[in-house]
Amino acid sequence: MADHIDIVIPDLGDFEDVEVIEILVGAGDSVSREDGLITLETDKASIDVPAPASGKIVELTVSVGDKLSSGDVIGKIFVEVGDTLLVTPAIEAKIAQGDTTVMSSPASLAPESVGKQTISVPDIGDFSDVEVIEVHVSVGDEVNVEDPLLTLETDKAAMDVPSTAKGTVESVLVKVGDTVSEGSPLVIVAAVDAPETATETKPPEKTVTVAAIVPAEKAPTSMSSQAQGLPAINEAGFSKAHASPSVRKLARELGVDLVQVKGSGAKARILHDDVKAFVKKVMTGGAAMPGGGMPKVPVIDFAKFGAVDLQPLTRIQKISGPRLQASWLNLPHVTQHDLADITELEARRQELKGPARERGISLTPLAFVLKACIAALKEYPKVNSSLSEDGLSLVYKQYYHLGFAAETENGLMVPVIRDADKKDVYELAKELAELSLAAREGKLKADQMQGASFTISSLGGIGGTAFTPIVNAPEVAILGVSRSSLQPVWNGSEFKPRLMLPLSFSYDHRVIDGACAVRFTTFLSKTLSNVDALLQAIP
Amino acid sequence: MTDKTHDSTVVMDPSERDAAMSAAVTIQEKALTPGPDAIHRAELVVIGSGPGGYTAAFRAADLGLQVTLIERYPMLGGVCLNVGCIPSKALLHAAKVIDEAEAMAVHGVVFGKPTIDAVALGEWKNQIVVRLTGGLVQLAKQRKVTVLQATAKFHSANRLELDNGGMVEFQQCIIAAGSQSVRIPGLPDDPRIVDSSGALELYPLPKRLLVVGGGIIGLEMACVYNSLGVEVSVVELMDSLMPGTDPDLVRPFLKIIKKRYDSIMLGTKVTGMHATVPGIEVSFEGKNAPIAQVYDRVLIAVGRRANGDKLAADKAGVSVDERGVIAVNKQMQTNVPHIFAIGDLVPGPMLAHKASHEAKVAAEVAAGEKSAFDARAIPSVAYTDPEIAWVGLTETDAKRDGIEYEKAHFPWAASGRALSLGRDEGFTKLLFDKASGRVLGGGIVGPGAGDLIAEVGLAIEMGADATDIGRTIHPHPTLSETIAFAAEAFEGTLTDLYLPKKR
Ligand SMILES: Cc1cc2nc3c(=O)[nH]c(=O)nc-3n(C[C@H](O)[C@H](O)[C@H](O)COP(=O)(O)OP(=O)(O)OC[C@H]3O[C@@H](n4cnc5c(N)ncnc54)[C@H](O)[C@@H]3O)c2cc1C
Repeated sequence: MADHIDIVIPDLGDFEDVEVIEILVGAGDSVSREDGLITLETDKASIDVPAPASGKIVELTVSVGDKLSSGDVIGKIFVEVGDTLLVTPAIEAKIAQGDTTVMSSPASLAPESVGKQTISVPDIGDFSDVEVIEVHVSVGDEVNVEDPLLTLETDKAAMDVPSTAKGTVESVLVKVGDTVSEGSPLVIVAAVDAPETATETKPPEKTVTVAAIVPAEKAPTSMSSQAQGLPAINEAGFSKAHASPSVRKLARELGVDLVQVKGSGAKARILHDDVKAFVKKVMTGGAAMPGGGMPKVPVIDFAKFGAVDLQPLTRIQKISGPRLQASWLNLPHVTQHDLADITELEARRQELKGPARERGISLTPLAFVLKACIAALKEYPKVNSSLSEDGLSLVYKQYYHLGFAAETENGLMVPVIRDADKKDVYELAKELAELSLAAREGKLKADQMQGASFTISSLGGIGGTAFTPIVNAPEVAILGVSRSSLQPVWNGSEFKPRLMLPLSFSYDHRVIDGACAVRFTTFLSKTLSNVDALLQAIP
Repeated sequence: MTDKTHDSTVVMDPSERDAAMSAAVTIQEKALTPGPDAIHRAELVVIGSGPGGYTAAFRAADLGLQVTLIERYPMLGGVCLNVGCIPSKALLHAAKVIDEAEAMAVHGVVFGKPTIDAVALGEWKNQIVVRLTGGLVQLAKQRKVTVLQATAKFHSANRLELDNGGMVEFQQCIIAAGSQSVRIPGLPDDPRIVDSSGALELYPLPKRLLVVGGGIIGLEMACVYNSLGVEVSVVELMDSLMPGTDPDLVRPFLKIIKKRYDSIMLGTKVTGMHATVPGIEVSFEGKNAPIAQVYDRVLIAVGRRANGDKLAADKAGVSVDERGVIAVNKQMQTNVPHIFAIGDLVPGPMLAHKASHEAKVAAEVAAGEKSAFDARAIPSVAYTDPEIAWVGLTETDAKRDGIEYEKAHFPWAASGRALSLGRDEGFTKLLFDKASGRVLGGGIVGPGAGDLIAEVGLAIEMGADATDIGRTIHPHPTLSETIAFAAEAFEGTLTDLYLPKKR
């Protein structure tokens, strides 16, 4: 909102009839908030009267030599959109010490209520930067004490700001959409007279208190807050728990659901100490709550929202789920992303693919990745290790059994290629195909899924640019492979289209540090670009 | 009574009001009324100063809130102190003294027939009320609770408007506006037809009183008038007195009043009333309906209605049902969380001790404490003679809800103390949970039952079983022993009676 507002001489303390000694701006001048407009001189000092807001001076109605006092109007300013009125220090001081003037009962308004009143945002609790969603008055309107001037909205509630003065609206300093905080000036009212009550009713003891304007829907915070990690109270069970009123009161205070607490008193009565011990247990993570002390995911009756169909998890999902969760919770996971240039590799693979097929072998990119991994694992043996059970030593494996994640109808399976280091690319490709088929047909034998020292999960056949695979613990790392794509790569003098393969290498940070991880992926990338080495026959 | 006062039971007789005001007035004067335009601000405002309202206001003030209590009448205390529990109990005490004196005649202590000065008796009762309500004013002052005398209505979710033109802006509000007597439409406007408040004004004592409604309030007043020598009749639409109460508890009382009252008409409906010069002519309909009768006073005690719908609560967004009742959660919050409701206008029995308990919960929650209405049982007492009291599960409820229970019963005829009071009609019963053996409920009928029932309430709250009660040494000879005896009867360890072995 842009508006003409009066420029008013601020509180000059005890001075009156102070002389204007200089005019600093003229009509049409643009000024910033706080710029001096005119200079006044008392016998003690000279004072600049600052612009109350940024904008354009519409007019100045004083000239050098005029005598002015607090509250005198010296001109008008056209306020810039979005700016708020400057509350000059003197005025500010008044607001601060006399909160009541601005924000509360008319009973205390009497002395100040004649003249101009800047009505500001009252105490609105903890909110700041709240939005003005409605302005109920405009310049010239007559308002009464308590008439709503405008409506503010927080994320919690809407609230009206009432007028604290009776009179005519001189200017409205904000517009819908502006954000304001406690103390932001909103409206200037030329107060006509003091409200009757101010003079006629003796103020009651304690009647006038500066109370916050309360958000309409302020809920007592007490209800919702509950000791962290504690389960919600099951009221039906709570009302039957074997606990005396004082124990129930304590449980309420601590947010403990008595249904979960075992009583140690006579006949399993729950005692104060039981409630406290329960809280301690939960806080230290050792509570015997479902989910091992983890906060529970809320239970939702989906049928309330639409038709549903209940299907049991497959056997494989039931087995792999807890293992994935165990790994995810126990291992501090980090994932290193990298890109390998496989332009040459892919070109060669295309050449070799046909002849290979004649030998009954599907020479997939994954076979090359496997081959490259062997080289990288040999270079970085830590990646081929496991933590000992006590977590105090590393078990370096002298074998290279590579697991690879295979998608099947029944869920995720990880067949294992044994002694992959002793196999060339063609053998690896062959075995990949055989094991995948067996997995899909559900014909994998137990020993074909055991003993992996490192795992590769390739989703490149489907798509994706990167992901964060979960380490197949107790292994310490896993390589994720996404879909390769042609990308412009700067070769030093120009961009060249290169076929880039995204690698996502997740690792157990307790064993592998970041530098090792990035060295591993760098080595891997380099190996993948050196197709000749990969194609070497195994002696 | 004028037309105006008649439509509200809570309106007090002018004489009573004057007396009370003399005590209250000095403070009330200061506790002013905000004039028109004035806005009064409060962190917490409480509407109504009954046992719900004043308790909430005081507790909240003690917890540090800045509290304003609004009451439409000049006296604090609500129904309970002014025209309910307290004055009715004063009169019941008088009744008891008369009856006990008379009962001793056959045992050799003979008093003359008492002379009743209904005016003096009424004054004594009023003085008790004035003393208590004056005490409340004092307590409010000590806690710096601002008291406003005005009728409040909601203006918005954060504002009340007062009938004197004032406004109160609040952060939180507790509605404790209570209830009032149900009126039967179409009755003649006659001062001889009264509600419970009118019945508490004894003077002039009628010769014949009809009590319409066989609930607790009606029967307590019937007891008073009967002891004062008035011929009392009771008419009740249902087939039993105190409908809903276990019939075995009512039976000893019924047996006694059958002998003392003119008539007890159960399953009988009042079909008309006509004001005639000699009295109110009442016609009846039903199994035991007599021909039309003339009474010189008729007490209408057919129930009370919650005041929830008299506050424009919808302006604050608070939902009120068609019976004037406001639903609340365990924190006593209405559907608008910063507005609470307590007492007679929320679900549950309309009892002062329930109102004050809820009041504390509401005040605590308003002050940010984690409090909840966790009580498992609310005792009920009919201060009739004999008294009837029960708490927790009743047999009536258990049967209705299919709750399994076991029962123990101890007849007062086997209590030395009961016999030495000259009263052997009472008994004490306890109900136990079949699985855990814990006390679920209890009922007592006999003199002092209302005081005795508190122990059963404690047992329920503490989760006590029969052994806990039986093994607690009770003083001998007292009526409290009957509770221990009932527990022992359940356990099979009772020696004061011979009970054939269970099972
Ligand atoms: C004859 C009789 C005997 C009783 N005996 C017993 C007994 O022995 N034991 C027992 O437990 N209970 C008894 N009761 C019931 C007991 O009185 C009530 O349960 C109890 O008073 C309820 O308390 P309350 O705070 O909810 O409301 P109330 O006591 O009804 O108080 C509500 C107050 O709110 C005020 N009010 C209402 N609307 C407004 C408004 N808009 N603005 C400002 N003020 C308003 C009213 O004037 C009133 O003072 C008896 C009742 C009666 C009538």
